[in-house]
Amino acid sequence: MRDVLTLTRPQADRLRICAILRICADLLWVVQAYAVAEVIAGWLRDGDHGVALVILFAATGVLRALLSYGAGRLVFDLGQRVVQDTRRRLLDAQTVRIDAALSSAEIAALVCDKIPLLAPYFTRFRLAMIRVRVVPVAFVLIALTQSWAVAIVLLVTGPLIPVFMALIGLAARDASARQMVEIGTVNRLLVDRIAALPDILLLGGFDRSRALFVTRVDALREKTMAVLRIAFLSSTVLELFSAIGVAMVALYVGFSLLGEITFGTWGAPLSISQGVFLLLLAPDFFQPLRDLAAAWHDKAAAEAVADELAGLNTAPALPILGLGAKATPLPGPVSICVEQADTVTRVRMPDFAIGPGESVALTGASGSGKSTCLIALAGLLPLSCGRITVMDQTLDAQNADAWRARLTLMPQHIHIPDTTLSDFLDPHGTKGDPGPALRIAHASDIVAALPHGLDTRLGELGAGVSGGEARRLLLARAFFSGADVILADEPTADLDAVTAGLIIDALRRAQDSGKTVIVASHDPLLIDAMDRAVALPEVQA
Amino acid sequence: MRRLWRVAGLLWQASPWAMWRGAAAALTVLVMGAALLGLSGWFITATGAAGLAGIGIAFDVFRPSAGVRFLALGRAGARYAERLLTHDTTLRALAKLRLALLDRLRHWPIDQLRRLRSAAELTRITADVDALDGLVLRLILPLLAGLLTHIAAFAMLWWLTVPSVALSIAGGYIFGGGLVLWLTARAALVPSKTAERSRQTLRRQVIGLFRGQRETIQQGLLPRRRDELTRSERTEQNAESRLNVIDERAGLALNLIVTLTAAAALLAGDIAVGLSTLSPAAAAIGFFAALGLAETLLPLRRGLAELGRMHDAAGRILPSETPKPAALPLPEVSPDHQTALVLDGVTVAAPGRQTPLMTALSLTLRPGETAALTGHSGLGKSTLLDAIAAVSAPLSGTVTLLGTSISDWPDEQLRRHLTLVPQRARPVGGSIRENLAIASDDLNDSAAWEALTTVELHSVVQRIGGLDATLGESGTGLSGGEARRLALARAVLRRPSVLLLDEPTEGLEGPLARRVLANLKHALPATAILIASHRRAEQEMADYLITLQSTHARK
Repeated sequence: MRDVLTLTRPQADRLRICAILRICADLLWVVQAYAVAEVIAGWLRDGDHGVALVILFAATGVLRALLSYGAGRLVFDLGQRVVQDTRRRLLDAQTVRIDAALSSAEIAALVCDKIPLLAPYFTRFRLAMIRVRVVPVAFVLIALTQSWAVAIVLLVTGPLIPVFMALIGLAARDASARQMVEIGTVNRLLVDRIAALPDILLLGGFDRSRALFVTRVDALREKTMAVLRIAFLSSTVLELFSAIGVAMVALYVGFSLLGEITFGTWGAPLSISQGVFLLLLAPDFFQPLRDLAAAWHDKAAAEAVADELAGLNTAPALPILGLGAKATPLPGPVSICVEQADTVTRVRMPDFAIGPGESVALTGASGSGKSTCLIALAGLLPLSCGRITVMDQTLDAQNADAWRARLTLMPQHIHIPDTTLSDFLDPHGTKGDPGPALRIAHASDIVAALPHGLDTRLGELGAGVSGGEARRLLLARAFFSGADVILADEPTADLDAVTAGLIIDALRRAQDSGKTVIVASHDPLLIDAMDRAVALPEVQA
Repeated sequence: MRRLWRVAGLLWQASPWAMWRGAAAALTVLVMGAALLGLSGWFITATGAAGLAGIGIAFDVFRPSAGVRFLALGRAGARYAERLLTHDTTLRALAKLRLALLDRLRHWPIDQLRRLRSAAELTRITADVDALDGLVLRLILPLLAGLLTHIAAFAMLWWLTVPSVALSIAGGYIFGGGLVLWLTARAALVPSKTAERSRQTLRRQVIGLFRGQRETIQQGLLPRRRDELTRSERTEQNAESRLNVIDERAGLALNLIVTLTAAAALLAGDIAVGLSTLSPAAAAIGFFAALGLAETLLPLRRGLAELGRMHDAAGRILPSETPKPAALPLPEVSPDHQTALVLDGVTVAAPGRQTPLMTALSLTLRPGETAALTGHSGLGKSTLLDAIAAVSAPLSGTVTLLGTSISDWPDEQLRRHLTLVPQRARPVGGSIRENLAIASDDLNDSAAWEALTTVELHSVVQRIGGLDATLGESGTGLSGGEARRLALARAVLRRPSVLLLDEPTEGLEGPLARRVLANLKHALPATAILIASHRRAEQEMADYLITLQSTHARK
C-alpha cells in the first residue's frame, strides 16, 4: 500500500486546481507590490495622494486571502478522501483475515492516528512542492524585467537553499530517524510505567521507579536535542539565505538609487518605484521555499505510514472463506467430513467424519495444531490441499457464511465485547427469552449475580466475568441461537474441577439435545466425555 | 480557558529561566525581522530621495547598510537559538508533565489503576501529553513575543513616524489579532471535543472488532460492525471538517488583518506625507514595519487550530479542581510478629456488586506457615487477596496484619510488610536489573542472582544476556510463565512478613512449579504465605487447605 501516496487522476486534478488557486494568490502579490511602489514613488515626486493605489493594494490583498481560503478548503477535502480510502482499504484487507500480523491496538493506532498523517502530505507538502516549481521562477522572471542584477541575486541565493538543505538534511536524516523512534520511546515508557503502576505500588517501589523513569527520560532528551541541533541548522540555512537575499536586494537598490551602482538594469537607471517593487518582491520569492521546508516533516511522517502499510501487504494474506456476513443457514442434517486436508499454515488435519448428535475430541500435544483445525472447520482458514465437506458440500467461499450460521465457535480466550449481556446473547436482536438457554448452560447463577441482570454492561469498562463464566455464557448463546454445531477450543483449560465439570456437563447436554460437538483438548475428563477421540498426526521433524 | 492557563503555568514552571530565554530569543527574531524590513524600506526611499535631490554622494550609506547586514545575519542566528532553547524547554516541560501525571496516578486506588491498562486508555493519555506540547511552543511563546514586539514597535514608530501610523499598526494587529484569537478559540471548542470523542469511539470499535474478530465473522456480524465503524468515521470527519472551516477562516481573518493593517499604515503615511508632517522615508518605515510584523500573527494560526484539542487534553491531564482533603498521615504501627495474618469473617463481592461471593472466611496464619485457598473460579479468590492487601475493601469482616487492623497501617509501612503478587503482574520495559530494582533500595548483583535462582529463572536470564538484558514493553522477551516468575523474584527481594500469591505457577510444568514453591519457602522461612490456586503443586506444599464455599451452594 505504498501507493497511498499516489493520487487517482481526479484527485490529482483537484490538487492541481488547489495549487493554481494558491499560485494565483502568490502572484497577486506582484499587483500589491506595484501599488505600494507607486504610492511611495508618488511621495517623492510631488506628494500627490495615492488613495486609489492604497485601495488597489487592500482589495488585491483581500482577493489573495480569499483565494488561499478556497484552496485550503478544497485541499482539505482531498486529504480527507485519501484518509477515508486508505482506512477502508486497510479494513477491507484486515477484517477478513485472522492471521493479522498486528495486534488490535496496533491496527487501531493505524486507523485513528497514523493514516490521518497522510492528509498533510497532500494538503501541505505536495501543494508546496507544486508552488515551489512555479512561484520563485515567476518572480525571478518578473524581477528580470526590471533588473538583471536583482534576478541574479535571487537566482544565486534561491537554489543554494535546497542544496544546503539537502546536505544538512542528509546528515540529519539518519539521526532524525533515530529521534522519531526515541520520541515514541518516551511515550511508550510512560505507558509502560502507568500499566505497571499497580504492581509497582504493591511493591512500595514508586519512588525507585520514578527515579529510574527520570533518568531514562533525561537521557532521551539529551539525545533528541543532539539531533535537533543538526536538524535546525537546516532551517537556519534557509532563514540565512532568504535574509541575505533580501538584504542584498535592499543594498543593491539603495546604492543604485544613489547612483553608486550603475549596472544591472536595462539601460535607464533604476527608478524609485522599481526599487521599492523589487524590494517587496524579494521576501515572497523565498516564501514558497520556506513553506516547503516547513512541510518536509509531513512528507517524512506520511512516508513512514506508507511504508508501514506496504509492509503489511508483503505478508501473504490468508483470507477467510466467505464474507463474515449474515446468511441463511445451510440446510440439511449436520455432517462434517475431513479428507486429506492441510491448512495453508501447514497443519495436517486428521481425517474424520461426524454426524448430528455426535461428539469428538481432537487431541494431540500442544503445538500440534488442534486450535488451527477448529478454525479451519469454521472456514476461517483456507486449505492448501484436501477438503472439508459440510452437509455434503465442499466448504468454500460460497457456502462458508451459510455454514457458519449453523455453528458456534468457542475460542480459548473469549473476547467479551462492550455490550449488555442480552445483546451478547442475542446479537441479531431476535428478542427471545434466553432463560432456558442459560439454564442448560449452567449460566443462570452468573446472570443472577450481575448487578443489573441481563442489562448489565460487560466488556473492559463494565462488569468483569471470569474465564469460566465467559465460556458458560458463550455456550448459552450457542443454545439460544439454535446453532447445532459447537466447536470448542480447550473449554476446560485453566478451570478448577467444579467449573470444568459444569462445562463438560453443559457440552454433554448439548450433544443430548442433538448438537454436534467438536472439542480440542488435552483434558482427560473432557476427552472421556466425548464419543470418541481423534488424535492429530505427530508433527514430523 | 482557565485550565489552559494552569497547564501553561505548569509547563512554564518546569524551567522558567530557560523559558524566559526562549521568549527573549523569539522576541529578538520578531524585532529584528520587523526592523530589517523597516530599515530596508527607509534605506531605499531615503536613497531615492537623495538621488533625486542630487546629493547622493553625501548620503551616509555605511551605517544603514551595516545595519541591514547585521539584522539579516542576527535574525538567522537568533532564530536558531530560539528554536533550540524553546524545544529544549518544551521537552523538559513535557517530562515534568509526564512526571506530574505519574505522581497524580500514584494516589489513585490500585483497582482503578488496573482498569487504566486498556490500550485505548493509555494511548489517549500519551496523546493528551503530546497535544499539550504545542501549547507553549506554538501559542504562549509566540503570543508573548508578539505582544512584546508590538509594544516595542509601537514605541519606535511613535518616535520615528507620526502617531497615526503607530496607532494604526498597533491597533490593527493587537485588537484585530486578539479578536480573531478569541473568536477562533470559542468556535473550536465544541467541534474539537466532538472530533476527539468520535476518534476515541472509532478506536474502541476497531479494537473491539479485531479482538472479537473470529466471533464476529462466525456470527455473520462483520458487515454490521463495518457499518458502525463507517458511521463513527463519518462523525469524526464531519467534526474535523468543521474544525478545518474554523481554521481556514482564522487564516483568512489573519491574512485580512495583515493586508488591511499594512494598507492603513500606507494610507496614514500617505496622508502625513501629503500634510508634510512626515518625510517619505520615515513614512516607508511604517509600511514596511507593518509588513514585517505580519510574522507576529501568522504563525499563531497553527497553535489556534490546536487550541480546542489542547483545552480538552488539559482537562484530562490536570488534577481535578477540588483537592482531596489531606488525610492525616497514619502513625507508624509497631508490628507484633506473634501472628502474621488474621482474617475474621471476611467476605468480598465482585467489583460493583453487593452480594458476597463466598461464605465468611476466618483464619489465622503464623510466621512461616503456608495456606492455599482453593475453590472454583468466580468465587473471588483474587478479590479476597485484594481485600487482604488493602487494594479494595472487603464486604464484611476484618483483616489484621501483625496485630494491627489493615486499615490502620500507613501505606508505605504496609507495603514493607505485606506483598501481593497479582495473577497478571507484569515486568516493566527495561533491564532485568531495573525490574528487580523496583523492589529493593540497595540491590546488588548477588542479591539479584539469588532472587532469580529462587524462582528458577537464573538460567533463563543468563541465556538472554544477564541482568542487563533488556525486556521490551510489558516484559516482552519473556514467556508468560517467566514473566510471572520475575514478579515472584521481586516479591522475594521484598522479604515481606506476609506474601500473597495469586496463581503463582500458572503455566509452569508440575515439577518446576514444585521446585519454585519449595525454593520460595526456603528463601523466606519466616514469611506467612497465602496462595490462591487451583493447582495441585500449591495445594501439596500448603500447611492448610482452605476451600472457599459459594454462597449459592448453600441456598
